[in-house]
This record gives sequence, structure tokens and C-alpha cells, in this order.
Amino acid sequence: MNILIPHTWLLEHLEADIEPKKLQEYLSLCGPSVERMYEREGDSVYDIEVTTNRADAMSVRGIAREAAAILPQFGVDAKLKPLTAPDVPNPSEELVLPTITENDELNKRTLCVVLSNVDRAPTPDWMAKRLTALDMQIHDAAIDITNYITHELGHPCHAFDYDKLVACGNQIIITEAEAGESFTLLDGATYTAIGGEVIFKDGTGTIIDLPSIKGTANSSVNANTKRILLLAESIDAKKVRFASMTHAIRTTAAQLMEKNADPTLAIDVIRLGVKLYREICGAKVASAVYDHFPRPNTHVAVTLTSEDLFRYLGVVIPLEEAKQMLERLECEVTIIDDSLVVTPPSFRPDLTIPADIVEEVARLYGYHKLPSKLMESAIPTNRPSGTNFTLEETVKEFLATVGWQEVYTYSMVSEAEALATGFTLEEHLKLSNPLTDDKVYLRRSLAPSLSAVLTANPMRQTLSVFEIANIYHPITNELPNEVLTLGIVSSAQYRDVRGILESLCTKLHITNFSIETEAGSSEATICFGKTQEVAGSISYSNGLTIIQIKISALVAHAQSHPTYQPQAKTAIIREDLTFKLPKKTAVGPIMSALEQLDPRITALELSTVYNENHTFTINYHDPNENLTSEQIAPLRKQLVAKVEQNWGGSLVGQLT
Amino acid sequence: MTGTTYIQQIELMQRTLRAETGLSANELQQKYLGVNGAFTLLAKQITEIDPGDRKVAGQPLNNLKNALATAVAAANNPSVKAWVDLSLPGRRPAVGHVHPISQAMAEITKIFTSIGFTRARYPEIDWDWYVFESLNMPPDHPARDEWETFFVAHAPDEKMGQMVLTTHTSNGQVREMERLGKPPIRMINIARCYRRQQDVTHTQMFHQFEGLVVDKGITIQHLKGTLDYFAEQFYGPGTKSRIRPFHFQFTEPSFEVDFSCHLCGGTGCKFCKSGWHEVGGCGMVHPNVLRAGGIDPDVYTGFAFGWGIERTYTLKEGLAIDDIRLLYSGDLQFLEQF
Repeated sequence: MNILIPHTWLLEHLEADIEPKKLQEYLSLCGPSVERMYEREGDSVYDIEVTTNRADAMSVRGIAREAAAILPQFGVDAKLKPLTAPDVPNPSEELVLPTITENDELNKRTLCVVLSNVDRAPTPDWMAKRLTALDMQIHDAAIDITNYITHELGHPCHAFDYDKLVACGNQIIITEAEAGESFTLLDGATYTAIGGEVIFKDGTGTIIDLPSIKGTANSSVNANTKRILLLAESIDAKKVRFASMTHAIRTTAAQLMEKNADPTLAIDVIRLGVKLYREICGAKVASAVYDHFPRPNTHVAVTLTSEDLFRYLGVVIPLEEAKQMLERLECEVTIIDDSLVVTPPSFRPDLTIPADIVEEVARLYGYHKLPSKLMESAIPTNRPSGTNFTLEETVKEFLATVGWQEVYTYSMVSEAEALATGFTLEEHLKLSNPLTDDKVYLRRSLAPSLSAVLTANPMRQTLSVFEIANIYHPITNELPNEVLTLGIVSSAQYRDVRGILESLCTKLHITNFSIETEAGSSEATICFGKTQEVAGSISYSNGLTIIQIKISALVAHAQSHPTYQPQAKTAIIREDLTFKLPKKTAVGPIMSALEQLDPRITALELSTVYNENHTFTINYHDPNENLTSEQIAPLRKQLVAKVEQNWGGSLVGQLT
Repeated sequence: MTGTTYIQQIELMQRTLRAETGLSANELQQKYLGVNGAFTLLAKQITEIDPGDRKVAGQPLNNLKNALATAVAAANNPSVKAWVDLSLPGRRPAVGHVHPISQAMAEITKIFTSIGFTRARYPEIDWDWYVFESLNMPPDHPARDEWETFFVAHAPDEKMGQMVLTTHTSNGQVREMERLGKPPIRMINIARCYRRQQDVTHTQMFHQFEGLVVDKGITIQHLKGTLDYFAEQFYGPGTKSRIRPFHFQFTEPSFEVDFSCHLCGGTGCKFCKSGWHEVGGCGMVHPNVLRAGGIDPDVYTGFAFGWGIERTYTLKEGLAIDDIRLLYSGDLQFLEQF
């Protein structure tokens, strides 16, 4: 949460002679980060990011306290000024306080006082200027005072119209809303409770406030208000968060209270409120102060040894020095032997374990003063199994080098893309709170996303893209099976795409690579290894070749190096044979059959295809002797006979 | 002599010829093409091989003869060269591109593995326990607001809670502790993450890298050392890092990390905040997180960091990408620049 703090306002709580620029630097190094600085109406305004654990610093006074603790570390004298609002004076008339039915589980403290004779004076210039610098709207003083105090002290308060309360029985019951009850906030918006929101009700059961979040229209100050009940309560943080998040009412009050703003501060809030209402609006105190605070914050001491400090910082910080730093943060500290016993102030509920105290000492000491060095300890050697990041990089580099483009597409897909995979919607994992309609289902295939990339780049006549990403297969009552997959979609010719896949396998030293398909089918299976494990699929339709391969199969079958084959000592004889094949003859099975005809036929490639004429380049080789024409002739005859008999093909030319 | 042996002899002479660099035209002529020249003798032997093989052997023999003629001509007149046009434009092969995020991942992996980190990979869809609760973030904690979480429509697990898309790579912390059983731990986990937000600086899917180091005697100094090492390697020599106080539930103390701006050298410019770039968070592993991973926080300490790759990468000089959604758009005009 970011908070704006004008420099001059800060100096009302901080005694220090310092330039805003320097303050920004020092505060950021050791405390809340001052992200930016604006010049507004002749004042420097700090834009400060305060973390969720530090509700105490979400105010002018909170930042002043931080500055008073930090600046001395940089040699700047600084002190937090005492609060100046006096105790609430005795009432000058006696109006009846509302009857309050407390609920100590829901609310930690209730503090209130009636003010009468409230003049509806305009907001004074000095206050208006400061609130404007915070981007707040200006109403009149009776309303703006509550915003001003909240910003100054970091604990919200609310001004009720006292006469409205009296009109409905002058009763406040602190309770939880029932589902279906409705309430209208002071901005006019009406909400229906889902049940469990902490609310104030009057004696008739009407909701008259959404405490610690926002006032309701039926009890808040309006233009006619002359008497107010100034009230500061401390609703349970989780309850505030629940109601605020449920109804998306994210007020400053809610954001403070859900982070456990300190109820101890409420008395200072009421004192300052009364002071300002008296000074600006001429108000009179018209009741005693009601204060119900059954369980003031308990201060649990945390013990920290010098060894604890050393374990985190690696440098020795004298305990006396640490004690002084912590005392500037308003901790009570005693040194017992080699330990610091630290009792944090009520507004620091975040300090509960030794590591919390270490952080306070370390940040004030200055992280920038700590040396920087690399680990000298043992390097772990137990690597995760089943992954091979180097192989993934090799695959990407190889495919990019041959001209293909790597893309990253979203893991979530639209309904249409989910259905395009052949799985039903029910067979997909679905987001329960998608942000956009095109990203709802966890994909079970990379194909639709990659095809969409080709569609999105219509200027490219041929385009091949690839991605390595997970696909997600649901498993009942378990996390899904995330299958890391290499997906390829290409508009290049099928043989070119497949050729690159084959080259990739060669590059990875994958032996026993095969593509199994039925003649004429547009789907095929990619298999690896002696057992012909299914590694993926390849399909062709509408001019696109789509390949998906499990990375785990590549990891299992890839080798870092080949199995060395000695150089051939005898000659390899190569020759071309051209066959005319009947139309729609699948060439793959012919080649497999021919390669298996004789061990001396060691390689067979399809070199050219012209109409029905297919030219194969054949290698004949015998490692033990140089083959002669007489030895090759019968092999050649066998090849031709096989093609003629099994596929009805005919040799182009004559056998010699 | 068989045809095969004859062809092997031709090939041998081809190789020998290629190695002849110091001979004059006359010497070449005499050695190979004279009456008793090596080629002349070889050519005569063609009559000795099987008639069926002669046809096959003729072609390589002819090639060798041509090569000899060229070599002699070149040696005769070394200063005369063929007319060529070197001003012709090149004909480029198709060159593809590894995606910039992959490039960044590879670089990050290399930097951290060189100082002993092991790269790991953990689920992208995980239980609330690993993503939040084991990281000291109980349900309904305000700190969870920072993570705009996508939930999967799936019945929650009794112990592990809801199924979510990982909002950060920190789900790998307790998982890595469980995998190894005990320190030393020095992990780098790089993965896709998801948050429910989308604008010019946010995409619903993004990437993070997570470092986790746990051992005896690990201090903030080691965290600083690791950050400095990364900064220098990734952004170039002279780049500094600094840590500032911050808050995360899963680290204590927690820090925000800045790297010095390499554009202005740390003096302040329009690309940085007063000389620094904010890159992400880190801290000393919270004792509760160590406990959740079965590690005794009284014996071991550790640090962790997790940053967005997109942010870290685009801080490199010249990569001020104005809309990070381009990274996942599949737009070739964009991707082909990398």
C-alpha cells in the first residue's frame, strides 16, 4: 500500500534538520521505500510504499517514527516529537451516550464521545491544502477532520450524526449480519450481506454502520448535522478483510484495520479529533468518553542472542548498539548476559520471533554496510531426475538454426481451442476465475495455439514455429499430469518438416526412430527405441504439418554422444534405381521392406519423385569384402522383384 | 584388378593431388602426366579391370584428369583469376530464432550453475499448500492480495487446499527441501507463472526464476554476493546490486533488490529510479518455511529470491520493450528481432 506524506506535515512529528532528497534516500535504504517525490503547493510530498505487515507506518506519525529511528544511523540528529492533543476535557453538557452492546470476539475496542454545537465551518486552508496534496476530496471540516486524523495517526475513526442515532433508539449493537440483510453506504450504494460481516445495528435490527470499513447513509453526518458521535472501533482484522473483500469496498479504513492497526492508538485519535472539532468547528464536549477495551494488547518479549544476529548478518553487532536501535523503534530492551530481551510496542504486532528482531537491527545497521561474498559451503550434487535442460536448449538451438521460429503461447485456451483437440470440455481443467474468455481451459495440446500463430502471421508463405511447453492432463483428485511437450506446426512441405525432425533425432543420437502410420492416413505415431515406445504424433491437414513429441521421450532416448562405428575398409557401392509406382502407393513401407531384404543393402534413400517415378539411391556394402558386379546383380534383381510383386511397381530402364 | 580397387586408387590420387601445393606447372606435368607419370600409368591400367566395371570407373578417372588440368593451369599462371562479381548481394539461408525468454533462461541458468546452483522444475499447477500456506501465508492473509491468483475448478484437497496456477516459482522452495531431504540446497527454479492481470506491463502468463540456498552458516552476505555476481554477469561489468528492506511472508528479513542503472552508470536517468532499477524480492528463508520443508531453522539458515524474467531481461540495454504482451503474441515481426 502506498501512502503520500507531505514533508511539512511530517516535520510536525519529526524533529530533524534534513533535506527531502536525503530523507528519501536514507528512509529507502533502511525503512519504507520512498518510491517517488512530488512537488505540490510548495511542499515536497513523499510517495511511500508501506508493506502489509507495517500498519503502524501507514500514517504521518508512523513514518516520522521510522525516520527518527533511521536518521541517527546517518549522523543526522532526529527525534519523534510528543503528541500535543490534550486529554478530552470534561463535558460542558451531558448528552446520553448510546447504549452499546459489545461483542469482544468481533471488536477489540470501542471508544466514543458526543460533541455538540458543531459549526459546519469550511475546511481550513491549511488542512484543505494537505488533504488536496493527498488527492483527497474536500467537503467541510466536520467531515474532513476524520480523514485528516486517520492519515495523521494511522487509525480510522467515524463521525455519526448523533441525532440520527437518538431517533432510532440511541443504541449500537455490535454483531454479525445475516445473509440477505441490506445496507446503504454513505455514498448511496446498496449492498446485500452474505452473512458474517460485522455491522452495527440499532434496537430495531436495522444496520446502521459497516464499522472499520465505511459508514452507512442512515447514521452518517449530512448537511444538517449539528451534533456528532465521534467513534473509533477496532473490528477483528479477518472480519474486516472478509467484508471488505467480499463487497469490494477497499477504503483506507478497511486497509488499515485488516492489517491489525493498533487499538491502543484509538485514544490519541479521539483526543486529536476532539481538539480539532473544538478549534475548527467550535464544538463542545457533550459526554464523558466511553472506552471499552477489555483486552489491551499483550506485549510478549522476544529473546535474541548475539549468535542469532551473527547467524544472519555474518558480522558482530555489539548488543548495546542493537539495544539503542531497538529503543528508537520504541521497543523496551534489556540486556541479560549474551541476550537481548525485547518487548515490542503495541503497534508492532509483526515482531514475534527472533528473526523479526534481527531484521529490525539489520536494516537499521544498514544492509549496504554488509560485505558481499559467495558461498564457500558444499555444492549439492543430487540433481533432479527426468529432466535435461541442456537437451531442451539443444533442441531449441537446432530448430532455430534450420530456420524455425520459437514462440511462447499461453497455457490457457478458449473453449473453441480446447474442443479442437478432440477432448471434451469436461476432460479439461478449467479456471474458476478466468480473466478473459480466450484463456479459460488448461490446454491438452499445443497444436491449436501454434496453428493460431500461423494464422496471425498471414504474410509468411511458409512458416514453421515450435514451442516447448506443458500440456495438462487431469487426474481425479490429484494434480494434473503436466507433460512437457515439443510442439511444431509448419506450413512447409511435409517431407521438409519430417526431414528436420529426422535430422533432430540424428543430432540427439536417437537410434531406432520410426513413424508408424496406415497407408493414406493423415495421422502417424512417432516411436523411439528398441521397444518402439510412442514418443509423439505427427499429422497433416489443410497444408499444415503438426508434430508433438514428449520431451521425456527425447530425454530417455537421446544420447550425449554416438556409438562409434569404425571406418568402412571396403567400398560402398551406390546406385540409383527408378521405379514407376501405381498412384496412391505409400512409399514408407516399400522402403522399409527393401532395406530389410538383405544385410548388404545398408541404406536406401528416396532421392527424387517425378510424377509416379520414384528414384531410390541404394547403398550396397559388405564390411568383409569389396562387392563385385556379380554380387550386386542378384541383390538388384531381388529389389526389383519385390517392388513388382508386392506393390505392382515397374523399374524404369533395364537390368544389366 | 576389381573395379572397386581401381576406383579406390583413383580416389587416393585425388587426395594426394589436393595436397600438392609447392609444385610448379612443369613439375606437376612431369610427375602425373608425363610418359611415366602417375596418372598416365593409372589410366593405362583401366584395361586390366573387369569389362563390366570399366564404365563405372571411367567417370572418376575423367574427373581426376580434369582436376589435374586445372591444377597445372593454375600453377602456370597464378596471377590470372576468373572474373567474379563480389558485389552481388548474399543469398541468406532461412534463420529462425530462439525466443527471447528462452535466451534469457539459458543465460540465467548458465550464470547460476556456474556458482553451483542446480536447476530444478516443479509443477505449474500446484496445491495452495506449496504456493502459499507452506510459505507462511495462511488462507485469507492480506499478503495474498499481491498475488492475483487463478484458481482451478477442482475440489480442494483435504490437506493441500485448493488447486491454483502457480503465482510465483516459490512453490519450488518446500518441494526442493522435500526432494533433497536435507541441506546443502542451492536451487534455481525457472518456470511459467500466472497472475490474474493484464496490461502493458503485465501478462496473465509470465516467467520467474527462483533461487534457494540453505546450509549452515548462510548469511545476508552470501545473498549479496550472489546478487552482485548475477548483476555483473547478466548486465555487464561494473553493475552493482543493493538490497532494501521489504516484507514477504516467506522471508525474514525480506528485501527488495535493485541493480544499478547501466545506462547512466547509477547517477540517475529517465529509465531508472535515481540510478537504480528495481528487479524483485528476496530474503532470508523464514523459519516457518524451513520447518514446513522439514529443516531445523536452529541449525540451518538460507536465502531465497524470485524475480520476473521479463522484467529482468528487458532492463538490458536497448531492450526497453514498451508492451510486454508482444512476447506472447506470436508476432514474427517482433520475435525475429531477437
